[in-house]
Amino acid sequence: MQLYSRVFGRSIAVVLFTSVLLSACGEKKSGEHGQRSLDFARLDAFPSTYAINQSRPVLIQGATLLTGTGAQVEKADLLLEDGKITQIGKVLKAPKGVLIIDGEGKWVTPGIIDVHSHLGDYPVPSIESSQDGNEMTSPNTAQVWAEHSVWTQDPQFPLALAGGVTTLQVLPGSANLFGGRSVTLKNVPGRSVQDMKFPGAPYGLKMACGENPKRVYGGKGTSPATRMGNVAGYRSAWIEASHYKKKWEDYVENGGEEPKRDLGLETLAGVLNGDILVHNHCYRGEEMAVMLDIADEFDFHISTFHHAVEAYKVADLLAEHNVCAAMWADWWGFKHEAFDMTEANIAIVDQARACAMIHSDSGVGVQHLNQEVAKAMAAGQRAGFDIQPKDAVAWMTLNPARALGIDGQTGSLEMGKMADVVVWSGNPFSVYTQVEQVFIDGELMYDHADAKRQPRSDFELGILNAEGERL
Amino acid sequence: MNKLVVFYILALGLCFGSAQAETILIKGAKVHTLSDKGSLDTADILIADGRIVQVGSSLDASAERVINASGKVVTPGIIAPISELGLVEISAASTTNDHSVTGESIGSAFNPLPAYNPKSTLIPFNRAGGVTSAVVFPSISPWDGGAVEAQRVFAGRSFAIKLNSEFDSVEARDVAQKAYLGEAGAQLAGGSRASAYAKVESALREALEYRENRSAIRRGEWRQLDYNLADLEALQPVVDGKASLVVTANRASDILAALALAKVFDVKLVLLGAAEGWMVADQLAEAQVPVVIDAINNLPISFSSLGARLDNAALLTKAGVKVAISGPDYAATHNLYLSRQSAGNAVAHGLPYEAALKSISSNVADIFSLDGGTLETGAVADIVIWSGDPLEVTSYPEQVLIAGVPQSLVTRSTRLRDRYSKPSKGHKFGYRH
Repeated sequence: MQLYSRVFGRSIAVVLFTSVLLSACGEKKSGEHGQRSLDFARLDAFPSTYAINQSRPVLIQGATLLTGTGAQVEKADLLLEDGKITQIGKVLKAPKGVLIIDGEGKWVTPGIIDVHSHLGDYPVPSIESSQDGNEMTSPNTAQVWAEHSVWTQDPQFPLALAGGVTTLQVLPGSANLFGGRSVTLKNVPGRSVQDMKFPGAPYGLKMACGENPKRVYGGKGTSPATRMGNVAGYRSAWIEASHYKKKWEDYVENGGEEPKRDLGLETLAGVLNGDILVHNHCYRGEEMAVMLDIADEFDFHISTFHHAVEAYKVADLLAEHNVCAAMWADWWGFKHEAFDMTEANIAIVDQARACAMIHSDSGVGVQHLNQEVAKAMAAGQRAGFDIQPKDAVAWMTLNPARALGIDGQTGSLEMGKMADVVVWSGNPFSVYTQVEQVFIDGELMYDHADAKRQPRSDFELGILNAEGERL
Repeated sequence: MNKLVVFYILALGLCFGSAQAETILIKGAKVHTLSDKGSLDTADILIADGRIVQVGSSLDASAERVINASGKVVTPGIIAPISELGLVEISAASTTNDHSVTGESIGSAFNPLPAYNPKSTLIPFNRAGGVTSAVVFPSISPWDGGAVEAQRVFAGRSFAIKLNSEFDSVEARDVAQKAYLGEAGAQLAGGSRASAYAKVESALREALEYRENRSAIRRGEWRQLDYNLADLEALQPVVDGKASLVVTANRASDILAALALAKVFDVKLVLLGAAEGWMVADQLAEAQVPVVIDAINNLPISFSSLGARLDNAALLTKAGVKVAISGPDYAATHNLYLSRQSAGNAVAHGLPYEAALKSISSNVADIFSLDGGTLETGAVADIVIWSGDPLEVTSYPEQVLIAGVPQSLVTRSTRLRDRYSKPSKGHKFGYRH
């Protein structure tokens, strides 16, 4: 499995490049706002207010660790301090005030990361007034941000937590060529979406190939009505975005009148700049190949193809272009473009040395991603590949972290990383295994055995019985 | 029944209603009996087996539970004369609404009872506001656009509930039939009030024809009828005088038309709305037709309520009309308990205090032949102990008994209040259950 991140590398390059630019034009400041910069991503517009201060150190003793980096370590200890994984080893010394978790017979994995979720934007109960995930008003709605639809009290969040999910990307829906911006959240109770925002995580741009945009807009008698209409729509938008980016670069370089901001183009320019990651709903091999050509034409990078049912057909291409694929274990047949399914999809992509991962796109699936990975692993084994739990676990941890550009902070059990950790009652790839504890940044956020450590959203209070919780 | 089963049933609250057998003594309250005994400045109430055994002073009883209500005010529970409780959860979420249907018939056969959900969050909320019983009606909104069949002037059958959230909380069935006359009826019946009137009239006439010739009609040896048999069957309790016919009408002339209709068919008429009822109060009193009004509405919101005024309840009551006050239209079913605020406003505009209390309790029980509404020997122990004057908006129920069983006053609203009483940064709120 390839664990380096070109995406992450690119963002660093961009930061360096930008700072060079800034220092270069430091003497040509314009206006009273100081330095001009290319801030297309606008990370600070709705800043993360996420914070967890770990209340006490945690020592998990004698468990089987699946590190996410390709190792399975038996009878190991794991120490979580100040929100970080500080030690992994045998018979670690317990610090003062430590919470000790007896890991005998238990398995420990990194927190699960779902790269494709609509929690909060398509909350439950699913009533007409809560359908906030799909701005189906124009083929290009790059200007909308999924975070502005998130209902933080969606009871699906705590259910996903009980399934071991510590981080998830909430995407806008797939009716449009450009659906809008995604947001990456830590799966914690939040009064505002900003309380959940993963600090510093790059934004994503949701794009969609294939049947959805052409059906939605073709059905209205407007373009796109065909796959070729889709592609024309992408390309003309990127042409516009390239001009927009150039206009701002000229301004940063040479000063003059500040160009007018455009929310949609800002997001696309952020992609061209390397600051915003493309998450592309794309089922078919042919279409993925076309999208890669479009990315080459306009010099941007596609982070991940989502719902990539035919990723196995182009796995070598994905590896060559350093593009990830997010897949289901076994969903198929609900659309023509989901017809050519193989359960070995994830395994084949993985074995072709491309970055493969599971994703849910489902409020139920997100609670059982370990089982989804287990099915995909078993299918890979039956296809003749040597894939073990130590390998497959990365499909739900490190690889989605990589797709989201946060693999430097989370996704594996490595010293110095965020202490996002799941303790399982046994092998996580058994249907009978349950999540026992979930730690996020070292804090015990879910405990199967303690109802007080199971968050309840506002919605769940008094809903079936005024004095109780939902269930 | 083994212990485990008992445990689960208790956990689910299924035994809540039947578990009571305790005797309760409420001591030292100001008691509004709403009966011939009037209001008592200091009295005790003894309750056993869900009913009031005695109301008097210095009752000496070895009650299992004694409630010191000194300084408090005690009344019968509020009874809501018109509601959609258990049929609606979020008004603008169509899947949570079961009170309204479209269809081919005139609608009288529609029975929403199977849709009733005693676990609706609206029930604890209104219970905590002092409502202990409610009549539940279907409805039709004539302003919903094309969804409504022009023929449909009857909303359907109603039932009455206790607000104890129990699965067996339905208190009475086929309490009334609801129909639309006046402006709403015109909207539904093709554009004219007269058409709505004619529809109700012909439906009642056919219901009588059906009653007299049931077997021949059933055998198919009768003329073709305009209305289907289910609708005519549903109107039998109305033409038999067992169920009320509740009709909407606000304009005075519409009310008079309704009175004329009721006289012809000798049905138990109840007028709903009656914004201009005060203009025809004497006719209403003479016909002994009660009204259900929104006593706080004084807006000329349509041309059929140009005469809406705050002393409507006072004027009607003075003329001898039996008045029931509903929750305000603007708050609809979610805040039925605000009928007490409306009643308070009616007092401020001339309605005698006890008459106002009756208008939200005993009058409603009388109109729909329900248990409750008075505090006297033998009456069902649906009782509210108030922090102060129940018609005052700053007062609130401290305890609510339904059939002698103390009720929880916890609601989603109080749960949220408690969770956020001290808002703070961070994630802890999610763990405050």
